[in-house]
Amino acid sequence: MTTELEAFADEVREFLDSNAKRRTAENRKVWGQGSDQVTIFRRERESRRSPEMRARREWLRARFDSGLGWICGPIEHGGRDLSSAHEILYETIESEYDVPDTSHLRMVGLNLVAPTILAHGTLRQCTQFIRPLFRGELIACQLFSEPGAGSDLAGLQTRARFDGTDWIVNGQKVWTSIAHCSDIGELLCRTDPAVAKHNGITAFLVDMDTPGIDVRPLRQMNGGAEFNEVYFTDVRVPDSRRLGPVNGGWPVALTTLMNERSSVGAEDSLAVNGALNIEWLTQLLDSLELRANPAARRRIAEIYVRRTTLDQLNAQLRRTVRSGRTPGPEASAGKLLNSRNVTEAAESISELLGPQMIADNGAWGTYGWSELLLCTPALRLLGGTDEILKNIIAERVLGLPKESSGGVARDGSR
Amino acid sequence: MNVCSEQELDDLRMSVRGFLSVRQGEFLERAKTWDAPKIDLPCWQRISTELDVQGLAIPEEYGGHGYGLPELRIVLEECGRSLAPLPFLSTVVMAATALIASSDDEACDRYLPEIASGRLIATLAAVEKSGRWTPAEWETRADKCDDQWLITGTKYFVLDGAGADLCLVLAHTPAGLTLFEVEGRAPGLQCGDMSGLDLTRGYARVYFANTPARVVGPLGEGMAIVENVLENLRIGLAAEAVGAAERCLEMSVDYAKIRFQFGRAIGSFQAVKHLCADMFVQFEGARALLAEAALAGRDQPEKLPVLAAASFVECSRMFFFVARENIHLHGGIGFTWEHDAHLYFRRAKTTELVLGGPVVDYEAVLTKLGV
Repeated sequence: MTTELEAFADEVREFLDSNAKRRTAENRKVWGQGSDQVTIFRRERESRRSPEMRARREWLRARFDSGLGWICGPIEHGGRDLSSAHEILYETIESEYDVPDTSHLRMVGLNLVAPTILAHGTLRQCTQFIRPLFRGELIACQLFSEPGAGSDLAGLQTRARFDGTDWIVNGQKVWTSIAHCSDIGELLCRTDPAVAKHNGITAFLVDMDTPGIDVRPLRQMNGGAEFNEVYFTDVRVPDSRRLGPVNGGWPVALTTLMNERSSVGAEDSLAVNGALNIEWLTQLLDSLELRANPAARRRIAEIYVRRTTLDQLNAQLRRTVRSGRTPGPEASAGKLLNSRNVTEAAESISELLGPQMIADNGAWGTYGWSELLLCTPALRLLGGTDEILKNIIAERVLGLPKESSGGVARDGSR
Repeated sequence: MNVCSEQELDDLRMSVRGFLSVRQGEFLERAKTWDAPKIDLPCWQRISTELDVQGLAIPEEYGGHGYGLPELRIVLEECGRSLAPLPFLSTVVMAATALIASSDDEACDRYLPEIASGRLIATLAAVEKSGRWTPAEWETRADKCDDQWLITGTKYFVLDGAGADLCLVLAHTPAGLTLFEVEGRAPGLQCGDMSGLDLTRGYARVYFANTPARVVGPLGEGMAIVENVLENLRIGLAAEAVGAAERCLEMSVDYAKIRFQFGRAIGSFQAVKHLCADMFVQFEGARALLAEAALAGRDQPEKLPVLAAASFVECSRMFFFVARENIHLHGGIGFTWEHDAHLYFRRAKTTELVLGGPVVDYEAVLTKLGV
């Protein structure tokens, strides 16, 4: 380690020592103790003002105020302008401490919305939103998908009309994670229905407590309700909240999407990673008395090798993608690998568990895995389906021709 | 250990690629004639004169350049890409690693400068009839008569065994498994080709009948040498696989752009696009894993055993997937003898199975992890 990194490590430890407890044998995740649920999405619907949420916001603030909230970010917006090696180092050290889990807040607000504002926002918007997002004062969601615009996002129909002062928004968004806890949302609207679909979209940053916004929970197949439908009825959005030019919202959306794909692929704070590591999987083999079973061992080895492969790909992507720069289409590879890995891991573990996966016999570390299985179908859908990501790789990385020649899109545009 | 910058690694790649790409057509045509020799000796000497890469990872004290796996990996990727009939894997990865691991200064002095300068082709004879890297199964033994060690037994799957000037042999002795050196023309040594799947690479059966041999390194320390060789061999095979797979991916993508059916390039159909994307995703992951494993070889040697085992199994399986789908993407033309695709398919399956195959290779990962 260089002396610069060593000095940084000292700083991180000093901050963590005075603001958090080090993980000890008592509060470390131990096989056989505590909850045995392995999951990706929370079961319980959180509220904006719950004590847990407050603790998470306070943790973000403490980190930011100590200069460790946005390690790679630009200095003028409160970042430290350090390398991703510093950020990785921070995360490695932080994992030794028991700190509030801010992963789902970081996921949308800090990984997706903040970089988009930085890339496309006015200086005033950057000042107004970025620092509060990183300090945990604002929580953000992403208002993109609609019932009729999923993979074909550019076909979105939520309308925004300018009345001379404000934009008036009407329409419906769907699959909006943490909308019910959010203060602001990055909203895509159709502002010109007469032009080709990609050229008539405008992006906004909307306050989620504006009158006319109705957030309704959607229950997922795993039983939780982390995401929502969001209805807009004559919602007034000031022009100062427009992100990027009028009808220039598609490049703004792409920035968010590219960041989403790289973050989903790289997401390593999801609960699964506490469970899909080799120590945990070895415990599983032992508890099922399958340590010597060749078929079971092969499954575990494959999970390990694939996770290691993805870890190294992510490490490389992180080295090339610095804060403020939008990840390239290559980032989609990580997302595809991640969803395949977790899906196959859940299925392999099901095979090891057999009947203990289908009903709860009370044994620790058995039926708890069923939650993971029930979450996996979402991985191949969220943040761009496998099929859309493969199109992106084929067309933008490999340079294969577009399929659209001869095809007519749903909204009639070509 | 010396270290190349990113820029120097790119330059190294470009110069090796430049050297091999002009010869690649000839390499592949040659491979398609059954009885062509599997080593292109003039080319081996030429690459030494022009690029001096044989000694890249050999220590400076033995006439090499003192670099490590991150640099060697680049050369091997390029050799894999062109399926070059050059004995890098046998001479530089297997034999040189075995010599260095033996810590036998005299043997290193004798052979490493010769290897580094491209004058000596060497190999390691380890596995026997089953091809498995399980020394307990091996029967070849060495006995000391008067002051001379004599080796008796048969080694199989000896890479480049037919053309090697030096054959390092692992043989059982009363003190345990031991590494020996045998000159290629030693009395009692006979070599026969094993006909094989991979047309670009030769495996030999090597018979020893009271063949005089010299001990390399300490008696009974053969197991540690086997482990060292296997680590570098896993990285070396993985690197060749990554380079060859990249070429297969390029062949597929290029063909999908120029082959027209139904009035459009087949690459505009999603069924074809998604197959290419699948190949790319597998390739990117495996390449990243290999790069990190090679770096670990230099910077974090304690991580090398696990990462080498993991990257070998991942890269070799990825390569076979890509080589197989490359044929599919080319349609009937890909199934012809004249097309190059089968040469990569043959190499890919050979690579995947040569250390025992995935059944054994995944177990090796778990063993290194202590599971």
